[in-house]
Amino acid sequence: MTLNYFLRRLATLLLVLFGVSVVAFSIIQLIPGDPARVVLGTQASPEGIAAVRARLGLDQPLVTQYVNWVGGILRGDFGQSLITGQSITRSVTRRLVPTLVLALAALLVGLLIAIPFGTLSALKPGGRRDTAASIFSQIGVSIPDFWMGIMLIFVFSESLRWMPSSGFAPITAGVGPFLRHLLLPALTAGLISGSIMTRFVRSAMLDVLQGDYVRTARAKGVRERSVLLKHVFRNATIPIVTIVGLQMATLLSRVVVVEIVFAWPGLGRLALESTLQRDYPVLQATVLLTATIFALMNLITDLSYVLLDPSVEYA
Amino acid sequence: MKRTTLLTSALAALLLMLGVAAAQQSGGTLRAAWAPNPVSLDPHVTSARASYQVFENVIDTLVELDEDLNIVPSLAHSWDVSDDGLVWTFYLRENATFGNGRPMTAEDVLYSHERLTDPETGSGNAYLLDNVESMEVIDDYTIEYTLNLPSGTFLSNLSKNKSVGIIARESVEDGTIGSMPLGTGPFVITDFEPGVSIMLERNEDYWQEGLPYLDAIEIRIILDDSVRRTALISGDVDWVISLPPQDVEDLMDNDDVVVDTVPAGGYWYIGLNLEREPFSDERVRQAIAYAINRENITAAATFGLGEPTQDPIPSTSPWAYNYAPFEQDIERAQALMVEAGYPDGFEMQIMPTTEYGESIRAAQVIQADLAQIGIQTDIFSPEWAQWLEEQGDGNYDTYVCSWNGLTDPDDFYFAQHRTGEVFNFTGYSNPSVDELLDEGRRESDQEVRYEIYEQVNQMIVDDAPYIYLYNLAEVNAYQPYVQGYNTRADQVIRFTYTWLDR
Repeated sequence: MTLNYFLRRLATLLLVLFGVSVVAFSIIQLIPGDPARVVLGTQASPEGIAAVRARLGLDQPLVTQYVNWVGGILRGDFGQSLITGQSITRSVTRRLVPTLVLALAALLVGLLIAIPFGTLSALKPGGRRDTAASIFSQIGVSIPDFWMGIMLIFVFSESLRWMPSSGFAPITAGVGPFLRHLLLPALTAGLISGSIMTRFVRSAMLDVLQGDYVRTARAKGVRERSVLLKHVFRNATIPIVTIVGLQMATLLSRVVVVEIVFAWPGLGRLALESTLQRDYPVLQATVLLTATIFALMNLITDLSYVLLDPSVEYA
Repeated sequence: MKRTTLLTSALAALLLMLGVAAAQQSGGTLRAAWAPNPVSLDPHVTSARASYQVFENVIDTLVELDEDLNIVPSLAHSWDVSDDGLVWTFYLRENATFGNGRPMTAEDVLYSHERLTDPETGSGNAYLLDNVESMEVIDDYTIEYTLNLPSGTFLSNLSKNKSVGIIARESVEDGTIGSMPLGTGPFVITDFEPGVSIMLERNEDYWQEGLPYLDAIEIRIILDDSVRRTALISGDVDWVISLPPQDVEDLMDNDDVVVDTVPAGGYWYIGLNLEREPFSDERVRQAIAYAINRENITAAATFGLGEPTQDPIPSTSPWAYNYAPFEQDIERAQALMVEAGYPDGFEMQIMPTTEYGESIRAAQVIQADLAQIGIQTDIFSPEWAQWLEEQGDGNYDTYVCSWNGLTDPDDFYFAQHRTGEVFNFTGYSNPSVDELLDEGRRESDQEVRYEIYEQVNQMIVDDAPYIYLYNLAEVNAYQPYVQGYNTRADQVIRFTYTWLDR
């Protein structure tokens, strides 16, 4: 049963990705601007533009370009950048790691905020802690992340000089530099994500807390600590896992802004730069890759329900 | 027969060395923050200043400009010109070596210049060699150029920018020309992560003995002005390519950083579409030129760093004319509008770009100024790729842009204003200007050229296809321990003599 379900989900995934590839390919063509002009800059003659377009294969019919592109991907080759001629497979894989690192770190920060705050406020709705948590999350949701990033840089890099203001250090450069570079961007993305998740955790916990089995447990004199750990948390995991899955997916797009503020060499910045430069195949590759991660995250979230809740069964 | 000798180059090198304090230290990595993004690194294809500024450290030309903008030997140690001015023979130094260890010869010069001028390449800089009729390799270290007309600009064209630089054909053949072109310069590109970083490492076989001092340069691309500033102040980088204009004055008082600024060979201007009504009428163009307040525009756009101007060549250049017929005069502007048949003004669009914040700030002041003579201005600011397309297709009323890295007067006028030239975006055509521009190219007596271009300058300013706004300032900033670096008027960034004192 589960295998069958899994295969069906996989087929849907492939269909979705095919759709994404068509949309990614065609929408990009609608943006005004021409990669040949971007390569040549202000000094572009009509003949020069025609020559560069021909060299890049942009003078071929769109259908041919699409077929060539998809054909390449099926062979594992994303092609070359129109602007620099570099291998896109290499660029995209180099950019994927920093983005995943940042998104995971931000998620961790977010959860470290959301779970305690959400739980505390759910235990006594309307109480002082609840009010404090909701003020915090309201502020967190309202602060633009670019501003938050710049403020953190101002305080921790420029004034206190505790952290570097920008850039990424791979873990191979040492754990210290890696964490020092990661902390501010992860805080920027994580605080906002945490504010959003606090609300979800609160309402998930509230739902469970009002359940009959919780009342029963309390009535039979189970200690409050055990009630929370054994009955409430376990049952709240499903909605929370759903949020985590969704947050991870949205974080992948939210970190674009953070990547720009902190000069973080991630996939989001690659997408932005390739859009600005009309580097079509690079943009298509990043869109396709992000869509794949998004779809996989959803699939993993759904599949994890089985592990978390024995009453869930897929048919 | 004219022949420069090794002595000139030795003297130039000596002077440069005297310029820096005595004991240079070798070694270390310079962390440099760059912007905007050097888009393509193919020297024959790109025309982006940020890319040229990288090439300065990687690729050499036959001749180059020194800090005082004199033409000095580089890969060619000397050259001859035939008496009729048509045949130029260049003698190449024999110890220049590409980043991959292969010695450079005349064949590489031929290859590079053929690729530059090949229509298939599509280079916007092919015009730099457009009066070359043929090129011939005489021996491994001698190459001869035959021109179709004597030229007063040929040598200066060969030093213009790195598009005339000499590259190794290997990087074209293996497809790395757009990311890691191989040159004979002091550094070699070892990694290029577009939009993120460029790594330059010392060329161990560099032809200037003992140079460069640095082991490597780590270029970090930091697009956000304020983040770049913070990176410098907090010591994350050693050198930055520019500062937010509003912070320059403050930082000049800060002893912890060096702010190094010079007036640059470039200008910002309004380009008017002469193929459209009402800009085809010179009275309307002049009315606009009279209506704007260049001091306010410069203050808003550059926070006082630029110098307001009415003609293109900066007042610090030996070619300066300082012709200024258009002091702000609203009454005069209104009279011209009435004369042209627009007593109530008209509506128009002005097109700056989000790529350059100063162009938008300038457009906002222009909008307010023009309202005084009844012109309703709509500001349309697309991002760069779209701007290039709209402007290139002539799909605009007026735009705001700049020309950079100009030295010879031919740079300031020819490609922009001669009838039918590719960079004549406004559609300007004045036969007298064309004739003088051609004459200026043929003439080799620089004093005669000064007079020729004086007339050109006056005609172009009066005809007003371009309305000049201000000359820009080049600002680099760095840590006090960065030695042997000077900001240059031609916006060239060269780390050959740079060293770290720490």
